[in-house]
Amino acid sequence: MDRKYTVVGTRMTRTDSLAKVTGRATFTADLKLPRMLCAKILRSPHPHARILNIDTSRALALPGVKAVVTAADAHGVKWGVFKYTQDHPMIAIDKVRYVGEDVAGVAAVDEETAQEALDLIQVDYEPLSAVFDPDEAMKEGAPLIHEQYTNNINVHVHIDVGDVDEAFAKAHLVREDTFHAAGEAYSTLEPYAVVASYVNGFLDLWVPNAGPHVRAKALSNLLKIPLNKVRVRHINVGGHFGSRSEVSPGDLVTSLLSIKSGCPVKLVLTREENATCTRQIHDIQATIKTGVKKDGTITAKEFRVVYDGGAYSSTGPIAASIPYYVYEEAYRFTNVRYDGYRVITNKGIRGMYGAHGRAFLVGNEMQLDMIARELGMDPMEIRLKNGLNVGEETATKSSIISGGLEEPIRQAAERAGWKEKRAALHEGEGIGMGCVAIMCGFPMGFRSGSACYVKLNDDGQATIVTGICDTGMGNESMAIQIASEILGIPVEDINLVNADTEVTNLDPGAYSQAASFVGGNAVKRACEEAKRQILSIATAKMNHPVEDLDLKDRMVVSKTDPSKSMPLRWVVREAFFQGKPIAATGAYMPKIDFQREWIKNPYGQMAGTYSFGCSVAEVTVDKETGQIRIPHFVAAHDCGNPINTMAVEGQIEGSVQQAGVAVLTEETRWSEGRLLNADLLEYKVPLACDMPEIEPVIVRSNDPEGPFGAKEGGLTTRMNAYSAVACAAHNALGVVLNEFPLTPDRVLKALDAAKGGGKL
Amino acid sequence: MIASKLEFKSPKDIEEAVRFYREFQGEAVYLSGGTDLVPRMKLGLEKPKAVIDLKRISPLTTVEDQADWIRIGALARIFDLKQNELIQDFFPALEASLEATSCESLQMRGTIGGNLLQNSRCLFYNQSEFWRRSKGFCLKMGGERCNAVPGAKTCFANYCSDNAPGLSTLSAELECTGPDGVRWLNLEDLYTDKADKPFNLRPGEILTAILVPKKRTAGGYKKLRVRGAIDYPLLGVAFSFVDGTGKLAVGAVGPKPYVVEMKKPPQDTIGEAVKAVLKQVRPVGNTVLDPDYRKRMISVLAAKLVNKVMEGVK
Repeated sequence: MDRKYTVVGTRMTRTDSLAKVTGRATFTADLKLPRMLCAKILRSPHPHARILNIDTSRALALPGVKAVVTAADAHGVKWGVFKYTQDHPMIAIDKVRYVGEDVAGVAAVDEETAQEALDLIQVDYEPLSAVFDPDEAMKEGAPLIHEQYTNNINVHVHIDVGDVDEAFAKAHLVREDTFHAAGEAYSTLEPYAVVASYVNGFLDLWVPNAGPHVRAKALSNLLKIPLNKVRVRHINVGGHFGSRSEVSPGDLVTSLLSIKSGCPVKLVLTREENATCTRQIHDIQATIKTGVKKDGTITAKEFRVVYDGGAYSSTGPIAASIPYYVYEEAYRFTNVRYDGYRVITNKGIRGMYGAHGRAFLVGNEMQLDMIARELGMDPMEIRLKNGLNVGEETATKSSIISGGLEEPIRQAAERAGWKEKRAALHEGEGIGMGCVAIMCGFPMGFRSGSACYVKLNDDGQATIVTGICDTGMGNESMAIQIASEILGIPVEDINLVNADTEVTNLDPGAYSQAASFVGGNAVKRACEEAKRQILSIATAKMNHPVEDLDLKDRMVVSKTDPSKSMPLRWVVREAFFQGKPIAATGAYMPKIDFQREWIKNPYGQMAGTYSFGCSVAEVTVDKETGQIRIPHFVAAHDCGNPINTMAVEGQIEGSVQQAGVAVLTEETRWSEGRLLNADLLEYKVPLACDMPEIEPVIVRSNDPEGPFGAKEGGLTTRMNAYSAVACAAHNALGVVLNEFPLTPDRVLKALDAAKGGGKL
Repeated sequence: MIASKLEFKSPKDIEEAVRFYREFQGEAVYLSGGTDLVPRMKLGLEKPKAVIDLKRISPLTTVEDQADWIRIGALARIFDLKQNELIQDFFPALEASLEATSCESLQMRGTIGGNLLQNSRCLFYNQSEFWRRSKGFCLKMGGERCNAVPGAKTCFANYCSDNAPGLSTLSAELECTGPDGVRWLNLEDLYTDKADKPFNLRPGEILTAILVPKKRTAGGYKKLRVRGAIDYPLLGVAFSFVDGTGKLAVGAVGPKPYVVEMKKPPQDTIGEAVKAVLKQVRPVGNTVLDPDYRKRMISVLAAKLVNKVMEGVK
């Protein structure tokens, strides 16, 4: 623990924990408003079809039905994260593109009536040929799912640095491998739900979201309602992992139903709908070619990655870029070419994910191990050799201002006993390492920054108002903890108003790993300004030099003379008397290159800073059954400086489950555009009994820009845990493992292939 | 998913339960722990007019030593049974399969009778009504074709009771009570060999007890699943050694357990026994994991299990 801080750096119980573990916390599905109606959605049964006609008359005639909506009730506006990916009308206009797509909505007095009404809506479809495989979708003659995406290619990200071909020609060793990973499901424990209430020209929305401001803006555009009249309200969120950041069809349909019926309307999705009709995670195929010098220095990298995007763009170019970026942020690439293709298919929509890119990231790390073996190098040494250090730049020109890959590698290796364990492995045992770096923020235009207001009440308690969004990771508690540290008052004296678009200012949201670095910085600055105001009043009232004053334990205190102090509330009241109430603003905009664009200009400073991480996994493999166990896992994460040590460890542990163990078990299974395993029984989220013993290691690089030196709190583990496990399995088995997840049948297939003369 | 409207009946004894069944003219189902019935109802796979809850009939939950038999009440909970000393002392194969069933919280809910009478399963069948309507009803739903195996004319759903294989190796018998009275049958005769309608039960019959010959046995159970708890078996292999004879049973690959009496000594005739099973089973792609892999694991798990048990016998 950092002794120079009082609250920051401690293992603080989060301010939201008690309500959540006692079941008292309110989530969207718990909300009850007077006259509230129940909504249900009519969904497409076809993966690809034209809508010829929709007849809602019989549904409208059913007693208890208060409104029925179709695309005819919307404005035909198509939404997209970017202007050039605006392809999603939210409610189908002339075509459906995946099984489960929203076609109509019903609001009725109860769930049963709404369900009955759905059966009374008559939709005439003309089924069209569908395509489910991205390679098939890109071929000439494949069914065209959107007019504007030739060959069903949604986006093509192209990055070219240096002279890749020349570097390969000169390399001592070149290797090319292809890896493929099945798609995954977010499995947030809270399924999607929304309550929309349109009253007197104002639309209020409660929905689990990762950024209310972008949600409100999207709805304002879709509904043609002025932005100030769309109020996305604060609500607890039961898990996110990337699935809650974009506006949802349910948001629009439910809003339309509320507008039409004049009542509040609630929609709660079933687990099946949540898995199929909100967001899913891309399947990815990555072909990776690497050239190295004899000493293991990477000289050339070439990537061709195909992302199965499902029926609409979603985050489009972001998803098609991130796996590459988190890798180039970790290692030194002087010559690199990346081609990422996000392809449209007739399946549910794929979005961004905290553990995104496992085929790409595992592939790179496993290939690095194979190269190391051929060169006679330890996998740790080759990573140390190529890892980026402070002061260097990534291939696409982002500067590293803190951390670097070396410390996490050394600390993880030491805690795991890397060298000793490697030398003493028994039959079926393996140990592996995975590294990655994470950007703290992406360029999101003017929404890249955050602002916070703080006011002091006359009893010396504070209210902080910030756009920071908490989707379960503890961001709210973090904001309060920062305020407590600066203002010298305990956590229970601080009220938080956050993530409400009527009141709070812009913030990147729980997205792009910016909450601590950007949002936390704004809170810190607001509180520092409030402190300045407090001390400038106190100095006169106490007749004491301002440089010697500080805030501690609800008091204004002298730093040097313990006898000199005054209750904070006296100073606050004095401020009211003077007509200068303690009320302050703080804002933070990270130092990024706003000209940087995902497709048009993928170069320049991407984020204010980067975190770095290294995980080491030990596995045992039963070669007869192919089953893999993970007895032990070490995760070193450089978060700059932890604001809440326990929360960072919690993020690391959750990441081990969501990525490290999930690489053995999680996959979505499809049959012709229909998801076979939508429920939590057949979609295999790792259980407590499947987990390894975990040792989290917090690496402290004290970032110069981050609040109290803090960077993001644990995502490196979520993007390197699968690499560590897969590399450990590769180490144990001695064969390439190219298909994920590493279910036992795939493991045996890989062993068989190697025996049959397959490449090692 | 909300289930359709139903009447809930809570009889105090078997006679009343059967009477309620007659009252609803066969459109009623019996409820034990509900761990199979309730999910089926929520998916719209079962839409009974009435649910007759057997849980108040306490004589159905007891385990009794009846000299030549151990009588296990069909409503005994999995969790209670696995801790029962008679089961532990005499039937280790059953103890192992009880322990492997689902997870502890569901073991506290589910009953041994319900576990045996669970409906067969398939990824293409255990889906919501929306899913099944959009795909088209399959053979098991009374439709025209199999959705899991294109062109198939028989149903390939799997019977996934963890405890049926073990009880088969113990030569268990069943006691059923219905509108026409009480009857007894070998466990093996419960199965129709038809995955779409797996059980030879007469309308209104309640499985009231499982009777296992009281003999000291050695045995065990190996379960193939992706995770360490909750999941149904992708393959279940049970073995018991009784009176100098070994019996092997393989479950979760087809509509019933496949039972083979092994030649002596069992540790030397595993290959032959497995071959006999492999001739009969045909796993298909209607579960997670490759069917070829599941088939391959029959011999792997059988060998591991039989060798481990017989080592203990020596």
